[in-house]
Amino acid sequence: MSQDLAIEVEGLKKSYGSVQALRGASFEVRRGEIFGFLGPNGAGKTTTIRCLLDLIRPNGGTLRVLGMDPQRQSVEVRRRVGYLPGELQLDGSLTGEATLRFFNDLRGRQADPAHIRRLAERLDVDLRMPVRNLSHGNKQKIGLIQALMHKPELLMLDEPTTGLDPLIQRELLAILEEARQDGATIFFSSHIISVVERIADQVAIIRAGEVVEVANTQDLLSRALRRAQVRFREPVNLQEFANIQGVKVLNGADPRSLLLQVEGDMEPLIRALADKPVIEIETERPSLEEIFITYYAAGDKEVE
Amino acid sequence: MRVVYLHALRKARGQILGWGLALFLLGLLLMPFYDSISSQSEQLQQLLEIYPEEFIAFFGDFSEFATPEGFLNIEFFSYMPLLLGIFAVLAGSGLLAADEESGHLDLLMGQPISRTKMFLARMFAFLSTAAAICIIGWLGLVLPLPASGMDLTPAQLALPFVSVLAIVFLFGALTALLSLLVPSRRLAATLGGVVLVASFFIEGFSGMITELEDVARYLPIHYYQGGDALNGLKLEWVLALAAAGLVLSVLALLRFQHKDLRVGGEGGWSLPLLGRRRKATEAGTGD
Repeated sequence: MSQDLAIEVEGLKKSYGSVQALRGASFEVRRGEIFGFLGPNGAGKTTTIRCLLDLIRPNGGTLRVLGMDPQRQSVEVRRRVGYLPGELQLDGSLTGEATLRFFNDLRGRQADPAHIRRLAERLDVDLRMPVRNLSHGNKQKIGLIQALMHKPELLMLDEPTTGLDPLIQRELLAILEEARQDGATIFFSSHIISVVERIADQVAIIRAGEVVEVANTQDLLSRALRRAQVRFREPVNLQEFANIQGVKVLNGADPRSLLLQVEGDMEPLIRALADKPVIEIETERPSLEEIFITYYAAGDKEVE
Repeated sequence: MRVVYLHALRKARGQILGWGLALFLLGLLLMPFYDSISSQSEQLQQLLEIYPEEFIAFFGDFSEFATPEGFLNIEFFSYMPLLLGIFAVLAGSGLLAADEESGHLDLLMGQPISRTKMFLARMFAFLSTAAAICIIGWLGLVLPLPASGMDLTPAQLALPFVSVLAIVFLFGALTALLSLLVPSRRLAATLGGVVLVASFFIEGFSGMITELEDVARYLPIHYYQGGDALNGLKLEWVLALAAAGLVLSVLALLRFQHKDLRVGGEGGWSLPLLGRRRKATEAGTGD
């Protein structure tokens, strides 16, 4: 067990009756990183987070959170973690302020009231309103403040951007980045790929209860397929390009224009184009979404 | 634990006021009737002779109606287990399952509090709520006492409430356990309610159907003293009820310590015939 790891998950299994929600998921989150847990609804993200907090008990596998066993040291784990549930439910009879005071009291008043007020201002939420009168997005902000207010070592956020408008989403990502700079580890799940792409250092993709990829976000983007459109001043022999390793010609009808799919490094293609009358090259950087879809498409083929 | 206890007690304010005031007003309205009834005991005796035997057997010895103990037993304490039993069944089934079904427990248990402390805080809050309701009800009897002809002390009037509290604890613990075993709070309350009502009527009819006496002996209401407690509390009965409540509470605690907390009604069990429908709903529980 490494001291550098905030979360260690090995062969995690969880079933609900005959339904296997997790089928041996494994991944690690290093301390101080922002880790995005990516998957569609029903893939096993919430189940994983709830196992890590001992809200549900796994059927197999091992778990460590901040070096501790979440089942044996559940209270200590939760003392050092800030948690936002995926299906946030608050006591509607309390105001936002009373709600946060209650959670702060539960934590032995770990949080500084001035810090709570600052977070409320940044997320633009009125804490004097009863929770039942708040919109879904404003309730989510209260939930986020209760997770962040005691400056935890580890944040576990299940779909943190749900219900937030784009401006507040941006502010939240800034707050999370600041928390990371202060030494916190941030583990968050999302099915919104653009959010993961914007902030996560590492990303894990979970499919049907199994983690199918864990990688540095930038590495994942750079090693993925990208498209290149090349236009020539005069016709060229397009067959030459079909023989380059990692390159596939997608459109060869027009000898002055070439549409290619490139896997990995662009260098072999650039070398091949060096002695050609190239007018213009356009490359499309793939989004994490396309990569994500690739994994799911591959999974579907396996099933077939 | 104190924070959860106070929070739960604060949320029970409505229950304390609602149930407490109802008992308070009942006592307040009832007490003045005693003097007029006791002054007409002969006419009352004649009236009672025309009542069916079953009616008298169910509600107790009507010949005692003109005594303070008999009057309070028949008019107030005889149906208190059923009345406050309903409160116990509703509050016990919602002890943890209400927040679990709403999804609020997920966030609460994400805080640094152990399951044992959460359970104990909620159970103590439930008992405090029941005690507060009984105290308000007791005040309803005590306040008009000086103006009535009853030769009873406030301390005497408190004794039947001790017996009531023991019954409330038992049924609260029973339904708390059931709510952690069956798939829904509503089902737990229904099952607890069936046990409560059946116990009440079996005990009531056991006075005239001798076969029911053996059954009644194993039911909690049999050990409820009612108005008889005004003449002295059977401590062994109270302790037996409290011990049964304690055993059920320990079982509920053990179950809570080991169970998966549900969100939005996931998990649970269903009858095999409903298996197909359950599979369809489970598809959305894996995230």
